[in-house]
Amino acid sequence: MIIKFKKIIAVLTISILAIFTFVSCSEKQVASTDDCGTVRMGDFDWDSANIHAAISSFILEKGYGCTVEITKGSTTPIMAAHYDKQLDVLVEVWYDNIIDNYKPHEEAGTIFNAGINTPASEQAFWVDATTAAKYNLKSVDDMKNPEVAALFNDPENPGMGRMYSCISGWTCYTINLVKQKEYGLDEFYTNYDPGTSGALDAAIAGAFAKGNPIFTYYWTPTGLMGKVDMVRLAEPAWTEKCWGDMSAVVESIKADGPDAYVASCACEYRDMALTKSMLTEWADAHPAESDFIKAYTLSTPTVNKLLAEYTDPNTGGDMEATARMFLSEYSEWKSMVPADVAKKISAAL
Amino acid sequence: MVLIKFMVKFLKKYSNYILYTFLFAIFIFLLVNGYQNSRYKPDSLMSVLGSTDWLLNWPKWLDVRLMHWTNDGFGSFIKAYGKYFDVVNDFLLGLIYGLKGILVLAPWPMVIGIVIAITFFASGRSLYTTTFVGIATFFIGFLNPVFWDKALETTSILFIGIFLCMSAGIPGGIAMARNKRVRNFFLPVLDLAQTIPAFCYLIPGIMLFGLGAVPAIIAIFIYAVPPLMRLTDLGIRLVDEEVIEAADSFGASSSQKLFGIQLPLALPNIMQGINQCTMMALSMVVIASMIGTRGLGDEVLLGLQQLNIGRALEAGISIVLLAIVFDRITQAYGATLQSRRGDREINKK
Repeated sequence: MIIKFKKIIAVLTISILAIFTFVSCSEKQVASTDDCGTVRMGDFDWDSANIHAAISSFILEKGYGCTVEITKGSTTPIMAAHYDKQLDVLVEVWYDNIIDNYKPHEEAGTIFNAGINTPASEQAFWVDATTAAKYNLKSVDDMKNPEVAALFNDPENPGMGRMYSCISGWTCYTINLVKQKEYGLDEFYTNYDPGTSGALDAAIAGAFAKGNPIFTYYWTPTGLMGKVDMVRLAEPAWTEKCWGDMSAVVESIKADGPDAYVASCACEYRDMALTKSMLTEWADAHPAESDFIKAYTLSTPTVNKLLAEYTDPNTGGDMEATARMFLSEYSEWKSMVPADVAKKISAAL
Repeated sequence: MVLIKFMVKFLKKYSNYILYTFLFAIFIFLLVNGYQNSRYKPDSLMSVLGSTDWLLNWPKWLDVRLMHWTNDGFGSFIKAYGKYFDVVNDFLLGLIYGLKGILVLAPWPMVIGIVIAITFFASGRSLYTTTFVGIATFFIGFLNPVFWDKALETTSILFIGIFLCMSAGIPGGIAMARNKRVRNFFLPVLDLAQTIPAFCYLIPGIMLFGLGAVPAIIAIFIYAVPPLMRLTDLGIRLVDEEVIEAADSFGASSSQKLFGIQLPLALPNIMQGINQCTMMALSMVVIASMIGTRGLGDEVLLGLQQLNIGRALEAGISIVLLAIVFDRITQAYGATLQSRRGDREINKK
């Protein structure tokens, strides 16, 4: 018995040693072909940033052999750490919102704008796809029709249609008010304040669940946009002059109430491109990886779909699962990396 | 026959045990079902028992699936029956806006005059209360001219809400007082209704009924009916046993006892219930502004969202004034009822 026991221990020790040496050898092998090292990535506390961080870190780890350390936080601390060279890569940056702080560091050369991550964060007026197709609704002008307005009947104001608007108190509520007047929509539709953004989401989800027509202001990229099919209504194109004139009217209404309205101009919201950012030092030291980060772009509908998956109440909530789902079901990432890297990633799935 | 008799006897004797066994079986089912469907299910039960980790931290697989069932159930429910809720929505909105239309059309001095007249008679011709209520009513509009119509809108929502509460709450309270089983069933339901955060049912309410006044009325009903039911129940049970015995000895029927003795004697308590119901309904109207319900709550929310403290305070005070008007009228009426009863008793002596 004792001999047998000793034998077992010996076999176990040998096999454990063997595994250790094997593992350490293979680790060395990876390190010798690739010297990526550790990537310090910043992530933010909202859904789309989480998804981009999960996808790009998966690609960096499995495709380029990097180790990715993700630090999550709100805008101010994460951006401060990035300016301070404590974070190498950010895969989602709301460039237009933080431009005043970002510009000095960009000009100093410590960081640089690594291009677009999502081409458009849209704000616009939307109509559910079924109704839009049935009545051929393509632009805000198509909405100026009593028969169409009757579809979106506002039970609180019989005879009027209801346009779900922005939350009153937010600037976009007043912007929508001015737009309605400029486009002549105010004769047909109420500028309906949903109270809170959660209530607006619930109203849209409810209308889709029941198959009712809905006409609403909304924005992307958002999880809800990935779950419902809505058509963006065309508006006059954005110009700096028109937007400036409209903003002046909006400000005076905010100060003095709706009576301060004067006819001026109205145009669409400008689509805001979301960008990426990298440390110049890191990018210079890692040309292959930084090429991937520069090439990384997802289309807005794809991001909406991923957000819908990520925020699904029953199955979502897992960053890595969403990233894996994207990498196995979509192919748009394959053009962002060299073919051999793409193969490694597919193998890792 | 003997067997059936035996069965009935057996069931009667052991019914408690059968119930407990049944409840225990449900608990076991929930445990097993949660474990089976968990995303974090360990590879085998043995690996769980092997370590003590699961004793120290609540294990992720020990999770009842209420969330999934609710989401799935609600999703298919709204798909199948959502249309019917639109009908209810339109009906209730019609009531509210019909009432509001009448109130808004009436000249404001007339509305104040009617309020004063009601107070005068309800309070048993108390000059003090009447003057106070009259001034409070005047100040609602005096604070901000915009508030007058909004206060009327809030009032019409309140009226419909309170009407629903009374038509369900008072019969419910009577049933509770007369039958112990009914009371045992309703008490936990009332506890639930009073404590569950309003947003738990406001958001599903939006999806069923759409934004606006109707989910607010449903919320008012859930939140404000419990005090009315409890106080009706209490009032009836507090009626003197000896009075009931006297009625029994005169051969009064059950309904004669209810309408001739119990309800009249419980009336002050029921009025107190209606008063509490009104106050709670008013506080819910403010919360409901977050789901797009028009009225005074709307103004508070707007003030907060624009950081306009003065506006929020003005609106807040006007809600307090509205509450004072309702409170003094219902309180005074309750007091009048009580004093009249006192007078009658004195007259008899």
